[in-house]
Amino acid sequence: MFRRNTLLSLAIMLGLGVLTACGMLSTEKSFAGTHPQELGAGRPQCSSCHEDELKGAAKTYASFNHSSTFVKDHKVQSGQDGNVCATCHAQSFCSDCHAGKTVMKPSTKLGDRPDRATPHSGNYLTMHRIEGKIDPTSCYKCHGRANNDKCTACHR
Amino acid sequence: MTQRTNVVLLAALITATAGAQDVSVYGTTMAQMWKQDISGDKRTMAPAAQYLGIDASQLGTEALSLHLFGWGRTDLGDQSVPGSKSAGDLTYGYLQYRFAEANAEIKAGRFGITQGGAMEQVDGVSARTDLKGGFTASFFAGKPVLYKNLEGAAQKDYEYQHDFIFGTRLGWRMSKIGELGLSYLQDGTTAAKDLHVPSPVDYTRRQMGADIHLVPISIIDFTGRTLWDMAKHDEMATAPSRIAEHDYTLAVKIAPTFVVTGNFTERNFQAYFAGTNMPNLFRQTELGKHRGYGINVVLGPASAVQVVVDYRNTKRDSYGEANRFGGEVRWTIPESKLQTGLGLHRVLADNVISIDDRVPTYSLSHREIRAWVMYESGRYSASLDGIRQSFDDKHNPSLAGVSSQYEFVGSLGARLTPSIKLSGDLSLGANPLFKKEVRGLLRAEYRFSMARKGGK
Repeated sequence: MFRRNTLLSLAIMLGLGVLTACGMLSTEKSFAGTHPQELGAGRPQCSSCHEDELKGAAKTYASFNHSSTFVKDHKVQSGQDGNVCATCHAQSFCSDCHAGKTVMKPSTKLGDRPDRATPHSGNYLTMHRIEGKIDPTSCYKCHGRANNDKCTACHR
Repeated sequence: MTQRTNVVLLAALITATAGAQDVSVYGTTMAQMWKQDISGDKRTMAPAAQYLGIDASQLGTEALSLHLFGWGRTDLGDQSVPGSKSAGDLTYGYLQYRFAEANAEIKAGRFGITQGGAMEQVDGVSARTDLKGGFTASFFAGKPVLYKNLEGAAQKDYEYQHDFIFGTRLGWRMSKIGELGLSYLQDGTTAAKDLHVPSPVDYTRRQMGADIHLVPISIIDFTGRTLWDMAKHDEMATAPSRIAEHDYTLAVKIAPTFVVTGNFTERNFQAYFAGTNMPNLFRQTELGKHRGYGINVVLGPASAVQVVVDYRNTKRDSYGEANRFGGEVRWTIPESKLQTGLGLHRVLADNVISIDDRVPTYSLSHREIRAWVMYESGRYSASLDGIRQSFDDKHNPSLAGVSSQYEFVGSLGARLTPSIKLSGDLSLGANPLFKKEVRGLLRAEYRFSMARKGGK
């Protein structure tokens, strides 16, 4: 019963939302599906070519520069502006590190790309026993609900 | 969905690419080999893996596209990972309709989604659009993709509770100021108590999130989010806080070549770990929290030479404090197609109190050095990557009496045609698990695009 009510409420909310939203849609042109130019080596700095604001995102291009902080922690940007990411990155780029289930650790798959700063370089099986004690929440982001079938070999 | 339904859907999706104006097929074939000797148990591992992706655009209409990506693995030698000698997964497979205006899009199928606090893999639908007045709205719903890594009854409980997932986010953007967002996520509609034999663990998630990205002036960039756990945890002890996470970062661009970034995080274990499918590891019964703050200074963030100096303090209630500090240098030389980096870090951590009388306490403190260099011309590529950790206390039971470990990975590659690249990696290492470790890897990467001419 609870499930039926939830689904019904959801359908009503969705229907009303769609009707309301249709009259409120922005008329701004959508972002390009792909970046028109190939990017050079190194981490891209959007502001080196684009000085102004990215219309539709209401943020400067500089706020999407791939700084070392951005590369290590981009969850807020991806949660707000996933479609900006999609202009340059296919979803397979994200799943190099963030797949729900994968066959090998990112640093092995991208062993020829040390510039990508992939997680778990070297023998991480030993390091995870140290870093996991210091901060288990850092493991949870990727292994808390997915990509953890190897974890269960020991953590039962 | 049953296996048969999945196969039929996948076949239908692939067949749909026949009508596409532009089809890209890309993939990576990898074969690894290494020998392993643990206490006389000698094994030869030779796993082969295949990643394959298809992007087909302009399916009848310019706005409709199809995206598929998955992988398969089989062991040609001994079994390389627990479970089975072969495995595979469809990472994503969805149809996408992109509207010409409002950044509106609809996806249907299996997709990964990041939206507010959600980072999920879903079999279902999602939609997003920009609205007038700077508002944005997004929504997804479907069946969560589940992983069968619990045992027997626990897996059944888990699947029963994760029958349906949905999430929504409303955002508000103001030009040259930034964005605020509110999100809600519910994973599972069936409570643990409704099982025939009520489960001791409530796997469902109900999570509220607030996120912010402010760029009020060009020198300030502030991002962050707070997540609240809204689920009832009647069967457990009361959590000290319903706040699952605070995570905020402030970057101040003091000069174009000088950026200082500060970060603060706090995560309460019971609230943060809600919904895990590994309750034995991510224990919701741990009522404490983890708190961290750090600062990093970047010199030359957009220049050829980038220097980062960083410090981070963390504290876990049940364990203690740790301080990590160090720095790294990255050097990109576009003219010579060379990139290189060097990083040095030191971790000073409180001792772990052990239940073993022979080692009543042991240290987690260690040093890490990493250096790499990469050359990539149009046709050839080469890289060398080395990492070494040295440990303060080799009596740490995880270290088997070893005081350091290292790994070097060398890679050579050649692009045979614009669409095909071959490369090989050789890694050498020594660590507490393996006295010496030598691994070889062959990699073939390819991408073929079949753009059709003549329009619709």
